Amino acid sequence: MKSIQATFEINGHEVTLSSAPNRTLLEVLRQDLGLTGAKDACGGEGECGACTVIMDGKAVNSCLVFIGQVQGCSIETIEGLSGNGDLHPLQRAFVEVGAVQCGYCTPGVIMASKALLNENPHPSDEDIREGLSGNLCRCTGYVKIVDAVRIAAEQQPRR
Amino acid sequence: MTEETLTLGKSELRKDAWDKVTGAAQYVADIPLTDLCHAVIVRSPLHYGRILGINKSAAQNIPGVLRVLAAEDIPGNKIFGPLLQDQPSLAIDIVRHLGEPVAIVIADNLETARMASELVKVEYEPLEPVFDPGQSLKPGGPRLHPEGNLAAQFDIQDGDIEAGFAEADVVLENTFSVPRISPAYMEPENSLARWNEDGLITVWVSSQHPFTDQVFIADALDLPVEKVQVKSAVIGGAFGGKEDSSLAILAALSAWAVRGAVRIVNTRNESFLAHPKRHPALIKMKLGAKRDGTLVALRAMSHMDTGAYASYGPAVGIIFTETLAGSYRIPNVHFETFVAYTNSPLSGAMRGFGSPQSHFALESMLDMLAAELDMHPLALRRKNMLRPGDKMFTGVVVNDTANSLPICLDQAEAIIKRFSQIEPAPGKTVGVGMALAAQSMGLGAKVPDDSTHRLEWSPDGDVYVHLGSPDMGQGLAMAAEQVTAEALGLPYEVVKTIPLDTLTSPNGNVTCASRMTYMVGNALIDAADRLIQQLLDEAARMMNFPREQLSYQVGRVVCPDGQKVDAAEIASRVADDGRTLQCESTFSFPYPEETTPQHLPIGMPHVIFCFGAQIVRVEVDPEIGNVDVTHLVAIHDVGRVISKPAVEGQIEGAVATGLGYALYEEMPLKEHQQWVDSFTEYLIPTTKDVPLNYEIIILEVPEASGPYGAKGIGEIPLVPTAPAVANAVYDAVGVRVKSLPLTPEKLIKI
Amino acid sequence: MLEFDFLTPNRLDESTAILEETGGCILAGGTDLIPKMRNDLFFAPILVDLSNIDELSFIEEKDDQIVIGALTTHQAIAESALLKSTNPALVTAAGTVGCVQTRNRGTLGGNIANASPAADSVPPLLVYDAQIRLLNKAGERTMPLTEFLVGPGMTKLESGELIHSVSFSQLQGAWGGAFQKLGVRNGMAIAVVSVAAAIVLDASGKVSDTRLALGSVASTVVRSPKAESALIGHEPTPEVVSRAAEACAEDISPISDVRSTAEYRRHAAIVLARRVLEQAAAEARGRLV
Repeated sequence: MKSIQATFEINGHEVTLSSAPNRTLLEVLRQDLGLTGAKDACGGEGECGACTVIMDGKAVNSCLVFIGQVQGCSIETIEGLSGNGDLHPLQRAFVEVGAVQCGYCTPGVIMASKALLNENPHPSDEDIREGLSGNLCRCTGYVKIVDAVRIAAEQQPRR
Repeated sequence: MTEETLTLGKSELRKDAWDKVTGAAQYVADIPLTDLCHAVIVRSPLHYGRILGINKSAAQNIPGVLRVLAAEDIPGNKIFGPLLQDQPSLAIDIVRHLGEPVAIVIADNLETARMASELVKVEYEPLEPVFDPGQSLKPGGPRLHPEGNLAAQFDIQDGDIEAGFAEADVVLENTFSVPRISPAYMEPENSLARWNEDGLITVWVSSQHPFTDQVFIADALDLPVEKVQVKSAVIGGAFGGKEDSSLAILAALSAWAVRGAVRIVNTRNESFLAHPKRHPALIKMKLGAKRDGTLVALRAMSHMDTGAYASYGPAVGIIFTETLAGSYRIPNVHFETFVAYTNSPLSGAMRGFGSPQSHFALESMLDMLAAELDMHPLALRRKNMLRPGDKMFTGVVVNDTANSLPICLDQAEAIIKRFSQIEPAPGKTVGVGMALAAQSMGLGAKVPDDSTHRLEWSPDGDVYVHLGSPDMGQGLAMAAEQVTAEALGLPYEVVKTIPLDTLTSPNGNVTCASRMTYMVGNALIDAADRLIQQLLDEAARMMNFPREQLSYQVGRVVCPDGQKVDAAEIASRVADDGRTLQCESTFSFPYPEETTPQHLPIGMPHVIFCFGAQIVRVEVDPEIGNVDVTHLVAIHDVGRVISKPAVEGQIEGAVATGLGYALYEEMPLKEHQQWVDSFTEYLIPTTKDVPLNYEIIILEVPEASGPYGAKGIGEIPLVPTAPAVANAVYDAVGVRVKSLPLTPEKLIKI
Repeated sequence: MLEFDFLTPNRLDESTAILEETGGCILAGGTDLIPKMRNDLFFAPILVDLSNIDELSFIEEKDDQIVIGALTTHQAIAESALLKSTNPALVTAAGTVGCVQTRNRGTLGGNIANASPAADSVPPLLVYDAQIRLLNKAGERTMPLTEFLVGPGMTKLESGELIHSVSFSQLQGAWGGAFQKLGVRNGMAIAVVSVAAAIVLDASGKVSDTRLALGSVASTVVRSPKAESALIGHEPTPEVVSRAAEACAEDISPISDVRSTAEYRRHAAIVLARRVLEQAAAEARGRLV
């Protein structure tokens, strides 16, 4: 197995790394880059959304992306969201509404929410449910998660 | 409640939420350690078999592999178990379930450990497995444990069951079945351990009871308990499933064996196969009533499948049995419960702990009886509900919190009316159903249940809560901080929880049994009172005032001259003496001898109960049997709200889990005798599977023994959900489904 | 996960050359392949990643033909205005694939090549008589999609070949198309049964052309000739549609698995077939002048 080189942007910074090709973006984020916000909850099957990151503007499961596929892409993880210490409006809403319990799904849910709001700044509740249907949460029953995303969206300026 | 509070009942923000929304929170899998090794467990490919030999050499010779361990390498006790000592940490001679740990491979990186784990050659003689608990108890089958296949048995009677049925005008008999359920917390089990030069072993866990882990680890490694330090990492959900200790023992064993640091993280498949589930059960129930609806007799014979090892099965059997009569007065009962070993994955603690199973049967039966008697299901429940002062079949006298039951039923009546008036979507058939629920609090009589917690006033003015039980994600720390802030008259912001460490934290006992707010709250109120006394003692000494002339006021000591001294200043002066201003308090779950019946087995009875009701409206597609839960109202009594969002969060999450139980969750054997073991096939609700119309009604009927009147809410909200859905489905399409989940196949005639 | 070499061609001709030379396995979105490889259900010594072949990601109209590039994502299909107006069933189906994370990565070509009987995008393509265009170093060939799909996980794709695109003719006149899917739960649903239908009415309101395709009820997504012939030449009254839907039972052979039983699938297929045909017929009637 020949290792491969991948150059990509992560939270605004370019990185180049070499890796065995059979590793996923999730593994590289967690093991090589120390970005442990994205989680593995389903064993890399794309069934839980806990590893959701934004890849070229779109929400993806980082467990379903081989590292070679990231070449030239721009990746945004939860660690990049609150850059200078200030919480992103979504993060703030999750804290304020009480949408966080065990928190294991939270980074993935927030990244999926961010991708949703990028494309649809003022989603209906149905849009929010559709946009987050790939993110499993066992603690909250989703009620306060949907509330938090709605509140964060309402705080954005209307176009 | 109109009385002014500082923080109680308010929507405070969880202090752990910042780290959780930024990705900074460290779960066991996220903790960075240098020179970290990884361990992978070699698991049984058989449901049942004899181990003829384990050949480690091929794996051992792989570069990067440090050790391969089997049962023989465990220096101390090779067997553990929370209630019965029946579970080998690594299999000894026999494997009793698919996925049972047989050996463990430790390597300097995860890939190598994985690869080498496939090279551990274990030779087995396959044995014929048994999966049905009833079958398991019949003579002639395999004997899974030396003492036989019965892990526990309960035979509880009250009144005269035969006389009861003799006076009944109507007798119904039915058999109900409920499936195996995965707690499906998002964070799979894991543990991290480090052997330190000084001989101390430090173990990070995602566990509901680090202090028991500590004991099991010390026992397995033959170390004194004080040589084992267990630290609670952030816990990614538990729901009962993390009362099990297996990975903590194996991580510690690995670190001890290689004299280094080792992490074990289960995959989701491993979590499905090898960690506790909610018990599947078969419940035969016979209910007798008078023509006017008065319940006169209830008999139940139940078989629960506890799987290969008992885990908490015997205790689950207790709460199951104790809740078979639900929230009702029934004068004559006879309950026989058998908790049997099989070769299934082990069943143990999971949210509800026996109560979801009993309630599905009972609350379904009540609606069937109501139909038989041509009574409204509400009227039947109202007629028979427990009232304060009633003696339950265990002999326990119900306290005043049973006053919440008529409120639940009155509210339910209005909601049912409202739901019934909503027009169904085109082509859909509509139904409304409800169920009541009772959930016990606490571990049960004669089970030691002391919970110790400590408050510390730091020189910087903050008050630290040394919580002796872990917050598994539900928000226990916030409740502890709010109670403390209220008791000390301080702002919530200055009260902070210190993560649990068995070397420095008091022992608060296992986080479980809907009793954490109750135990922790009571202990901390007392600790706060005594901390104030201590503060005044110190202040008197320092400032040379007579003690009785000092008083305490919101974080300050008020002196006779009117001068006010910050507690922080006193704490600081105490610190200068090399001491700490702190106070510890233990609360013991009360089982007063004069009111607690003593004739029952250990763990029985439970004496404090939570009550609630749920009402659901479903739309059923009559042609294809699909059930859509469109509306749901959950009414729950919490005694006193400490944190409103946290109470709502408990209800919202539990209801979703209850809906999964009602509609599609199950973990059956599929083709080739493999268990459903992934989220591809084990489906839990998504955002698109919870009702759009959701309402929560919180009742506050004070529990006299609770902190500020509070009691538990962790488990009960998932108990009435499934029977309420089943009753609504019956109302919609006239089909009574007696086995969960209510899949479309069961609702239509093909 | 087993080991493999990872190749990333930058151009289409380079891709076919590499495929020819190495016999490697194509990696498109990876949403099916990566979990299969992780679970050791699939092994390839060489993976050829087509991430850089942008020219295979397109949706276009050409001479009355709609052409969709193999690397077009489900999300792009779900959001396509052109497809919404020409093959709404496909748009609906693409919108029900997994969840947004899956739709952002998963591709049409991958969905077809994976050859699952439950593939959501296939029934709406079959009811448009879609053709599939395959490319290798030497040239290309085109065949009906029905012919391409052989069995679960099996297709006529040969070593060295890649899927270039899928094309179908626009329906003309008074047409209607629909897709419905039944899952165990609402979110991230895998089809227990899925059905797509297309109906074209003549000026008198009689069915001049129709196709019905069903997923998860046979070893591939299948057409139902029996149902189709029961409709041709008739006005799609409720009775006629019901009869046609019943007839589809003869063209399917469902199995029982962890998601459902054969009996239930057979029953639900008939119900869904009727509903989808009714929906398509109603839409077609709306286009009658």
